[in-house]
Amino acid sequence: MSTFTVPMFVRGQLITDNLVAFGTRLDHSFHAVDPAKHVHTLALRNPAAMADLYAASLEEILDVLQELGQALAFERNSYIQEAYEACLVSNPMSASILRTGYIALPALFTRETMRELAETQVGIDYLEGWVPRRLLDGREIRVRAFGARTLHIPAGNGGLVSGITVLRSALTRSDAIIKAPSNDPLTAMAIARTLRDIAPDHPITRHLAVAYWKGGDKAVEEQLYKPENIEKIVAWGGLASVKHVTRYIQPGLELIALDPKRSATIIGPEAFESEAVLREVARRAACDVGAGNQEGCVNARVIYVLSGTDEAGLQNANRLGELIYESMMGLPDAVSTKPKVVDRTLLEHIEGSRITDDWYRVYGGEHAEGAIIVSQIDEPVHYSTMLSGRVANIVPVNSIEKVTDAINAYTQTIGIYPESLKVGLRDRLPLFGAQRLTSLGYAASVNFTIPQDAMEPLRRMCKWIVDEECEPSRVFPLWQTPDAVRQAVSAH
Amino acid sequence: MDTKSVQTFMDHPLDFFEESVTTMHSIRRADLEELQREAMIQRFAEHRERIEIVRKLADRLGVTAVDKFDDMVPLMFSHTAYKSYPPALLDNKRWDLMTRWLDKLTVYDLSQVDVEGADTIDEWLDRLEAQTPVQLVTSSGTTGTFSIIPKDEQTTIEGMHIWKMMVFQTFGKEPTDDELNPVVDVIWPNYSEGRFGMTRMVPWMKREFTGGDESRFHALYSGAMDTDLIFLANKMRAAIARGELDRLQLDPALAARKDELIAMQARQATEVPEFVTRLTKQLRGRRVFMTSTYNLMYNLASAGLAEGVRAAFAPNSAILTGGGAKGQILPEDYMDVIKEFYGVRIQEGYAFSEHNGVHFACEQGRYHVQPWVISFLLDPETSEPLPRSGRQTGRFAVYDLINQSHWGGVITGDEVTIDWSTPCPCGRTTIAIEHGITRFSEKKDGVEDKISCAATHEVQNEAIDFLRELGS
Repeated sequence: MSTFTVPMFVRGQLITDNLVAFGTRLDHSFHAVDPAKHVHTLALRNPAAMADLYAASLEEILDVLQELGQALAFERNSYIQEAYEACLVSNPMSASILRTGYIALPALFTRETMRELAETQVGIDYLEGWVPRRLLDGREIRVRAFGARTLHIPAGNGGLVSGITVLRSALTRSDAIIKAPSNDPLTAMAIARTLRDIAPDHPITRHLAVAYWKGGDKAVEEQLYKPENIEKIVAWGGLASVKHVTRYIQPGLELIALDPKRSATIIGPEAFESEAVLREVARRAACDVGAGNQEGCVNARVIYVLSGTDEAGLQNANRLGELIYESMMGLPDAVSTKPKVVDRTLLEHIEGSRITDDWYRVYGGEHAEGAIIVSQIDEPVHYSTMLSGRVANIVPVNSIEKVTDAINAYTQTIGIYPESLKVGLRDRLPLFGAQRLTSLGYAASVNFTIPQDAMEPLRRMCKWIVDEECEPSRVFPLWQTPDAVRQAVSAH
Repeated sequence: MDTKSVQTFMDHPLDFFEESVTTMHSIRRADLEELQREAMIQRFAEHRERIEIVRKLADRLGVTAVDKFDDMVPLMFSHTAYKSYPPALLDNKRWDLMTRWLDKLTVYDLSQVDVEGADTIDEWLDRLEAQTPVQLVTSSGTTGTFSIIPKDEQTTIEGMHIWKMMVFQTFGKEPTDDELNPVVDVIWPNYSEGRFGMTRMVPWMKREFTGGDESRFHALYSGAMDTDLIFLANKMRAAIARGELDRLQLDPALAARKDELIAMQARQATEVPEFVTRLTKQLRGRRVFMTSTYNLMYNLASAGLAEGVRAAFAPNSAILTGGGAKGQILPEDYMDVIKEFYGVRIQEGYAFSEHNGVHFACEQGRYHVQPWVISFLLDPETSEPLPRSGRQTGRFAVYDLINQSHWGGVITGDEVTIDWSTPCPCGRTTIAIEHGITRFSEKKDGVEDKISCAATHEVQNEAIDFLRELGS
């Protein structure tokens, strides 16, 4: 496929006219429905129109979603196949890895998985009705989680992000407008069209809109990003894209930022206990670096090793670097490949490090296939924020303090070996900003049921509404406040 | 070709071309290429011996000798070679280790330099210059570091001499005595001294153009462009990118200079109008040499024209500009505005600090590459050399033969077009680069890993603002 067309999906209607050309990040172009001409149709102006979502029970919603999941099977769904083909020209991820994401898509929508997500992150009772509780002061409260009119700006690294976006919206009975990313312009659309084929009149179909516009297009965004149209924006992705959304945030319009993160790895001295252990550690670390070609924020980039920085320590760190590189080259194609796109400046820095062998050892990287750079001092390379395309930096350190210095609010996942080290660090690392601690090798194995970026997005997507019942015989009535106090209050 | 003439060509090109721009750019292409090839073979052999990092790279690649031009391509450095040290060494003032790093990039032996007690980056660099023949130019990057390019005295003397020849001589005419030995005032819309980027050229320019007469050197700003301050600015930018500005460590030596730096910044408000007045009044009728980037030239010109004044230099003055727009969007007619204000011949040049030589634009607007610089075009993705025939567009790379202090192979970040086969109608025989030169990083909407020479003023101000806020 050399080019493709991105229609607009507005609550069950497919719009295919008024096409204009757009560029992708990979020097390709595609056509999409002119956002300026149709933006006024995207928003749900009347909030009362969300009532239909509450006429359906969660079980009914799950029925539709389950059917949707089955219909998303890669081999049978031509919309999904088209989305995959569009990614081949617009996305830096290689074909085999993209395919893996699409093959995993139906599993998101299995009934038990969806129930686990709803129950863990919100509580099904709260989604289904009013949950009562009596408070100490005597009042009865009933709390319910309502959906909101939400705009989603998903990341384009793999079709799963679009899948989870549709799923989160439906489970919370939200009204969703999805702004398709340029590097994955058709996956959300494919899901929406499949949903329309299955249940054209179902409320979750009628509360889904998918469109493409160029992020930052003021003509579209200034018109759409207003409290009268949307109540929440869920923004994934890079600093620039999240930052430019913040200018629209105001009372009545909230931002849920799944913002740019980097991840790290900490490996304890136990890794060097035996050659067999070291190989296992290397295999796991290689997976954290290489899975999905390091396009995700979960991937390992800087790997701190508590090897010490004396000669033996450096030797151990270098050996680990060599083994990680070897393992990374052996990762299955479905998980990791030679990157399709590499950052030229990063490659130049790697060559700079390669010739600076007093301070760095570089394993691989001569053919832009990925590389492991082992610092020979306890400092990461100065270009550590550029690490991508399967390039990681091993930093040998003498003590854990050197590691905590490097953890901040931009640190998402930390893969740790061994488990005992993780237990020892788990009460400290969050103070510096770390958000997810996981067993080495599992950084890129993502489960959407767990908190993400130090919050529960599903819970944040809900509006938490309370109904209070105050019986004067049980809850002290303010109007019966004794006079003296009353006077004091009014005098004040 | 006789060995002696090859040696003169590569060591003293001005002698070889008898100080004539016309001779320099009229040599037959085939003769020049043979000369270049022989010089390349010799220079590589010499540098492989004397520059550790070149030897290591060649050993790794299994290269013991070069023969064809394209043999040089795998041996070229990108800008990263000159900033590959761990920046923690600077933070920790490990000048010994920094010296050891730099030692591997130059033919000179730096191992005996006494760096004990140096307190700032510039003090360390001063020590190196005082005790060895190196002349060090620093230039900026965005990853919290900067590059250090070890030139030497001979290249800086010859380099400035070439500037003088190029700006005052006219191609196709025998140089007159007046062109060979011009007496001029130098106009320098920049800091009056410094180590960083172009400011390092100030003493070299004074030596060449004013014979050391300070009264004939006119700088815009009275302060210095410090490496230490630029390093702080770079670290700030990197810290912001990492979300850790709060953890930025400030060097006490720099913090102690806070008031001095704030005063320098404050002076600039009056220095700009004073400078315009000096240009249009005091230097009226004087023969001048002026050099600056397009945007600074334009800013001064449009400020002057807005005031209703213009410069009126002697007609045999010379102005050299270049450097791309450097991040500033200039109006389409910027050259007209510049020409209107300055009113004399304005030449354009293309240069970068990792090699020697400004390549001047001819009347056709093409930059003619100086004969001692071998041009290469590389595939932007693979870095494989493109054919040296027909019209080609690619990443520009050079092998600079007269680089005697450091390695001459450089891969730039610039996309250029060269027509290898068609001679330029201007009559020069040398390789001509078409006028439109773009940085790949600008094209790709990507991160520029270089703070351009023109942006340094703003960068320096960012650092001073940061110092000011820290104290308040």
